[in-house]
Amino acid sequence: MTDEMTKDPKQQITTDPSKPSERMRAGSMTITLGPWIIAGIALMLMPFIFTSNSALTIMNQMWITVIFALAYNMLLGQGGMLSFGHAVYMGLGGFFCMHIMNYVEDYGVAFPLPLLPLFGGLFGMGFAMLIGSFSTSGAGTRFAMISLGVGELIAACSVIIVAFFGGEEGISGDRTYGLPFFGVEFLKQIEVYYLISFWLMLSAALMYLFSRTPVGRMANAVRDNPERAQFLGYSARWVRFYSFCASGFFCGIAGGLFAISYEILTEENLNAASSGVILLVTFLGGVGFFFGPIIGAIAFTLLQTVLSLQTELWSIYAGALFLATVMFFPGGLAGLLMMHVPAFKLGKMSGLVVPYFKTLIPAAIGVLGICALIEMTFHFRHGATGDNEMTLFWTTFDSHSVLPWIIAIAVAAIGIGIAKMTAPEMKEAWDEANTAGGTS
Amino acid sequence: MELILVNLIDGLVTGLLLFMLSAGLTLIFSMMGVLNFAHASFYMLGAYFAYSISLAIGFWMGLLIAPLIVGLAGAGVERYGLRRVHQYGHVPELIFTFGLALLIEEVVQFIWGKNQMPYSVPEVLNFTAFSIAGNSIPAYKIFMIFISISIFIGLLYILTKTRVGMIIQAALSYPRTVEALGHNVPLIFMGVFGVGTALAGVAGVIAGPVLGTFPGMAFVLGSIVFVTIVIGGLGSLWGALVASLLIGWITTFAKSYNIAMSDILNGIGIATPENMSDNPFRDLWTITSPQIADILPYILMVLILIFRPAGLFGKRES
Amino acid sequence: MSAPALELKGLKKSFGKAEIIRGIDLSIGKAERHAIIGPNGAGKSTLFNLITARFPPTAGTVKLHGEDLAGLEPYQINRKGLSRSFQITNIFPKMSVFENVRCALLWAQGYKYSFWNLVSRSRQLNEGADAILEQINLLERRDLAAGLLSYAEQRALEIGITIAGGADVIMLDEPTAGMSHSETDYITDLILKVTAGKTLIMVEHDMGVVFGLADRISVLVYGEIIATNTPELVRADPKVQEAYLGAALEAEH
Repeated sequence: MTDEMTKDPKQQITTDPSKPSERMRAGSMTITLGPWIIAGIALMLMPFIFTSNSALTIMNQMWITVIFALAYNMLLGQGGMLSFGHAVYMGLGGFFCMHIMNYVEDYGVAFPLPLLPLFGGLFGMGFAMLIGSFSTSGAGTRFAMISLGVGELIAACSVIIVAFFGGEEGISGDRTYGLPFFGVEFLKQIEVYYLISFWLMLSAALMYLFSRTPVGRMANAVRDNPERAQFLGYSARWVRFYSFCASGFFCGIAGGLFAISYEILTEENLNAASSGVILLVTFLGGVGFFFGPIIGAIAFTLLQTVLSLQTELWSIYAGALFLATVMFFPGGLAGLLMMHVPAFKLGKMSGLVVPYFKTLIPAAIGVLGICALIEMTFHFRHGATGDNEMTLFWTTFDSHSVLPWIIAIAVAAIGIGIAKMTAPEMKEAWDEANTAGGTS
Repeated sequence: MELILVNLIDGLVTGLLLFMLSAGLTLIFSMMGVLNFAHASFYMLGAYFAYSISLAIGFWMGLLIAPLIVGLAGAGVERYGLRRVHQYGHVPELIFTFGLALLIEEVVQFIWGKNQMPYSVPEVLNFTAFSIAGNSIPAYKIFMIFISISIFIGLLYILTKTRVGMIIQAALSYPRTVEALGHNVPLIFMGVFGVGTALAGVAGVIAGPVLGTFPGMAFVLGSIVFVTIVIGGLGSLWGALVASLLIGWITTFAKSYNIAMSDILNGIGIATPENMSDNPFRDLWTITSPQIADILPYILMVLILIFRPAGLFGKRES
Repeated sequence: MSAPALELKGLKKSFGKAEIIRGIDLSIGKAERHAIIGPNGAGKSTLFNLITARFPPTAGTVKLHGEDLAGLEPYQINRKGLSRSFQITNIFPKMSVFENVRCALLWAQGYKYSFWNLVSRSRQLNEGADAILEQINLLERRDLAAGLLSYAEQRALEIGITIAGGADVIMLDEPTAGMSHSETDYITDLILKVTAGKTLIMVEHDMGVVFGLADRISVLVYGEIIATNTPELVRADPKVQEAYLGAALEAEH
């Protein structure tokens, strides 16, 4: 796990990448503006590349999820606290913003909409302070259980306390009644997109900077070894409390943006399923690196939108992918990426390309074969009687005949078989790429 | 008076059912230090397996075979999943079982579909055992109580009186020493996990016909089971029993007696406000106990965690 | 006369029925190097844990510069200028070596729970951390994850973290445990260097280290101090010879 840091150039000692012991440094990132500027430009240009309304909707959802996942990772990755009820903080921030929005509409208050997420953040933080005051005394199972209990409690309350949560149908509002912001009334999706992008950049930068502050650094220390942190003058409990409140703040901002974007909040924004999804997203992206949750949110949202159009079984694949990540790549996607940094620094990435192709492409084909089998089984069992036709990978066939099954099994077996055969070769190439010096 | 008796019986059924789940969960926790989030999923698997088996060879064979399959599945999960994740630490372990719960729910939907299964009480037990003041108590409830109590006694006997139980108890506190004494601790872990999940399977088999066999059944019960063992004290078998019964009775009584919040508030001298529809606290005033019956366990848990973090019977948190 | 750096009065600790520490009175002066020795199971580490509030004492008082530490949390005691190391290496394994030391400096430099300062912006903080790394000879390992260091290096880092905050009372729990001869010499020199002018209290098994470093030695046997004196006089004390030292010295040769 790499912790990035900046250094005064004068103090930098030279790194000899040939020493395996110094690779950590090679893997570390320095604070540079580069990635931030690129991200900012990308955010600005995206709507020109993906112009359709549905693409805008997907991107809006993606960026809100990014903020939420980053905020979640302030706890999970940076602070070592596993929350099973984090949707509550985002949801409450959203509900609060929705009430402000309705208040503005009902009483004609002059209120600029772009400021709304800030209030969501403050509300989220307020609630986090309340809960954190007793939940942060421990990090492990106790914290997880309290978060679960509080989450269930709030989700259940949402049906009972109708005045705030609006009961079953939730509460909805209209974002366009706010004070026009430099002539922008947020009638168009694209205006909302830029509003969300602005808050995304701001929140991500603030969260990143938070991790560089003394309390942010101590959050890492408390995660690694709470007892030692205590003997350095820091109360582990207070360090956790600060992280928790900060996380609640950014969750609330995400909630406010959700309220603006969707103009409706329901029990779904609070319940355990939403809390579970954010854990999934964050872990998939990788908790060990700041940018992990960003990758996770993007990958997951794409997976969700693309796969759910293709197959109704998408959540079974998402579940399997998640489980495989936990079991085999606990570093997530970010961890997988960063694994390659040493090889990259050694200039040996090229040696990996061919072995990767030889193993990963057959493996992918094999996995697709397995997916085909799963889809066919599903169709075979649950398809309407008499309707034996199914379409898979642009091919239409009869799921009750033998041939497609044989083909799918063959594809799966051959794909996996080849991957297994070439795997040792890939392993060898990997070792070689991570060893300094010439080929021996 | 009669109603109280009926509720006592109903609460006992719920409580004992909860206990069958929480007993396994708490055993697994005290042994491996990991809360198995997927525990209720095994309960669901028990119900579904039993249903499928009952179609072919009847309810009783289902009761016998389904828990065995569930136990084997549980042991497999420990051997090939949890043991691997163990090296990464506790948080990934929790996350793993969480992911497993998600996956099992999806797989169940994949195999059996989204609808509730017509899994019902066997004919032999489908009669009224006795009535109390017009409330009939079905024989199946008596059967459930009987099964749960026998399992509890059996478990207690195995843990305290047999050699295997001794080894398990020793392995709980001193895994290294027990291993050094020549016992196969990983095997014991796998066994405990298997038995724990099999217990959940039994609960599923007998609860499926009354509570319904549907893909959401694990979720409905799952979090309550956690609440139970947290209230009882993580790792305490007695705590699990007491907390299970407590929750069973609290929820049953809250549901059957319609206590309104306005009555309580009036009772302690706060007058009902005039304009209820404009009052920001109107929801507080209209709350009734059946409405909040299902969240009472969570409130109880949060209170317990604040004021007695180790739970009712727990030792201090490790 | 100013108060002693550390003063223990009637300190007792029982675990259940077992009385591990059975009434300890000890006074350690400012800038003194004090070693606590004793056979295994004498309660040396327990004594350390009592002083630093890792466990609450059953009876008795601990005073730091004349101030009673009763009821304080470990982090509060640390803020009062008492810092300790652990017998089992206790560092932040996933953080870089530099980061380990820098975290140890934060409180001492007054950052508290600040979320408005950036650690990378503070010259004092970063140069301070590098200075300590230089003292403990880990500058070359600066950016390595602490968990990847060799055992001796981790022990050195542990000492570095312990002294970083500038505490004037340093407690080291078996700093040379499990080390080779050359590593032991290295660590001994290091301790001498970094604790100059400070009060040092250490538990140690290696008699070479003890006699080389300590101004005074206390011998702890079965939860009681049977002798406190200069190394020479402790060596000559027949009670000590009988209880412990003879066997240990024999074993060393």
